[in-house]
Amino acid sequence: MLLIQNSAIADALNSSEWVFPIAECFHIAAFAWSIGLIALVDYRLFGFGVQHSKPSEVARATAPWTLLGLAVVLLSGPVLFLSDVRMYLHNPSFRFKMYALAIAILFNYTIHRKVALSDSSSAGVRVTVGAVSLLLWISVVFGGLFIAFD
Amino acid sequence: MLLSFAQWIQATALFTALRGSADVYPVVMALHMVGISLFGGMILMTDMRLLGWAMRKRSISDVVDQFRVPKRWGLLLTVTCGVLMAGSKAEEYYYNSFFRTKLILLAAVIVFELVFYRSVYAHPAALDRTPGIPGTAKTAAVLSLLLWIAIACCGRGIGYIEPPLDKIHAEIHAAKAAALAALHTPSTPEGRVR
Repeated sequence: MLLIQNSAIADALNSSEWVFPIAECFHIAAFAWSIGLIALVDYRLFGFGVQHSKPSEVARATAPWTLLGLAVVLLSGPVLFLSDVRMYLHNPSFRFKMYALAIAILFNYTIHRKVALSDSSSAGVRVTVGAVSLLLWISVVFGGLFIAFD
Repeated sequence: MLLSFAQWIQATALFTALRGSADVYPVVMALHMVGISLFGGMILMTDMRLLGWAMRKRSISDVVDQFRVPKRWGLLLTVTCGVLMAGSKAEEYYYNSFFRTKLILLAAVIVFELVFYRSVYAHPAALDRTPGIPGTAKTAAVLSLLLWIAIACCGRGIGYIEPPLDKIHAEIHAAKAAALAALHTPSTPEGRVR
C-alpha cells in the first residue's frame, strides 16, 4: 500500500519536468538562507566579523528567519525525496545527510541556542559550539551534494 | 575565439587533473554549495533589511557593516570553487545556455556594484539618518535579490543540459558517451543531477 501510494506521488511529481528543478531551487535558496544565518551566529561565537552585537542579539535577530528558512527546506526536501523514494533510501549519502540533519537541528535548538543566548559563556565553550555547529551544517550540505555522486 | 579559449583553459594541467578526479570534483562542488550558504544567506538578509522586511530592530548600518566581512569570505569560496568547476569543463559549458546566461548575470552584478556600492552599501550609516528607507536602497535590494536568485537558478540549470557530444573533442566524446550510458536511467535524480 505504501509503495503504491509512493509511486502515485512519484508519478505526479515526475509528470512535469519542472516540479523537481523548481523544488530544488527552493531547497537550495532556503538552505542557503537558514545555514547562512546559523553561520552568522557561529561567526559571532568565534569572534569573526559580527563584533558590534552580543551573541544573544545575533541569535535573537536571526532566529525567526532561520526557522522560516528551515521550514521551506523541510517542505521542499520531501518533494525531492518522494520523486524517487527507493533510490534515496538506498543512497548512503542520503542516509548520512538525514542523520547529520537530525543532529544539526537538535544541536541548533539545544546547546547552540543556549550558549548563543547566554552572553557569559567562556571563550572556549563559544568557539567549540560555533565550530561544531558549522561543521554539522557543512556536513549536511556535503551529504546532500554527494547524493548525486553515489 | 571564445571557444578556443575554453578549449585551451580546460586543457591546462590543473583543469585536466580536476576533470579527471572522481574525488576532488564533487568536493569542489560541495564547497561551492557551502560557499553559497555562507554567502547567499547573508545577501538575502542584507537585502531584506534594506527593504525593511527583516531585522527591523537593528539599524541598517548595523546589519550591512557586520555582514560585510563574512559575506566576502563566502563569496571568495563560492567564486574559487565556481572557477575551478567552470575551467575544468569550459568547452562543454561554452555550449551551455544556462552557463552563458549565468556569466551575463555575473557581469550584471559588477555593473550593479559600480552603480550602487557607493550610494548604498559603502556608507550605510547615511541610511540610518533618513526618515524612511531611501528608494535607491530599496531598488538596490530588489535588483540584488533578483540577480542572485537568477544566478543560483542558472547555476542549477547548468547541470540539466546534456553536453553536445557531436561538437566536443573525440576523446571527451567517448568518455562522456560511456558515462551517459551508465547513467541513463530515465527520471531518476541521478539521471538529472550530474
